[in-house]
Amino acid sequence: MKLRHYETMFLLHPDLSSEDREDAIQKFSKIIQDDKGQIVNIDQWPLRKLAYKVQKQTQGYYVVMDFGAPGDAIEELTRNYRLDERVMKFMTTKLDDEFDFEEATKKYASNEAKEPQGQAETSKTDLEEKEE
Amino acid sequence: MQRPQQNRYKRRRIYVRRKICRFCADKTLVADYKQPDLLKSFITERGKILPRRVTGTCAKHQRRLTNAIKKARIMALLPFTSGHAIE
Repeated sequence: MKLRHYETMFLLHPDLSSEDREDAIQKFSKIIQDDKGQIVNIDQWPLRKLAYKVQKQTQGYYVVMDFGAPGDAIEELTRNYRLDERVMKFMTTKLDDEFDFEEATKKYASNEAKEPQGQAETSKTDLEEKEE
Repeated sequence: MQRPQQNRYKRRRIYVRRKICRFCADKTLVADYKQPDLLKSFITERGKILPRRVTGTCAKHQRRLTNAIKKARIMALLPFTSGHAIE
């Protein structure tokens, strides 16, 4: 079956231990792999403040997975996200209709240092100041 | 009598420096929902998306920027409105 390039992000409950989080990531990677998907990269963000409260929580752990999978895998993944109580929010986006494992891996090999770190810093720009 | 005054007025138009699109200026810069700190500079204090005429972003990049900001809002990386923001 044809693989497409996807990216999924989910938000884990802040009270989870690192083993619990690892377990959740394993579970979702397995769902992708069981459906003949290939995982390119898993990015775990440190505990981060949320922009607004989600399930009465003000913080959470974000996980971003870059992978290739057939469309059916996404349905299964979404179903499991909904069932899993550790997941507070999730979003899967299609990056491309074509998926090439080699090509996708290359991006991470050269971009390692440039990976965005999810730390909230309130940086005021000239634009915002002008607004007032 | 009217003529020269009008001309002078016309000449004294306030010169506004043409803003350039930040995404066109820096090709490596991509509007990505995973970089809320970058997107923050394109929203107001209240969390509204700033219009193109304010930021100078080109049409193509403004479309992508808008989508990125909306995705970031869904994932609680950016606030929908300051009224619900934490802090």
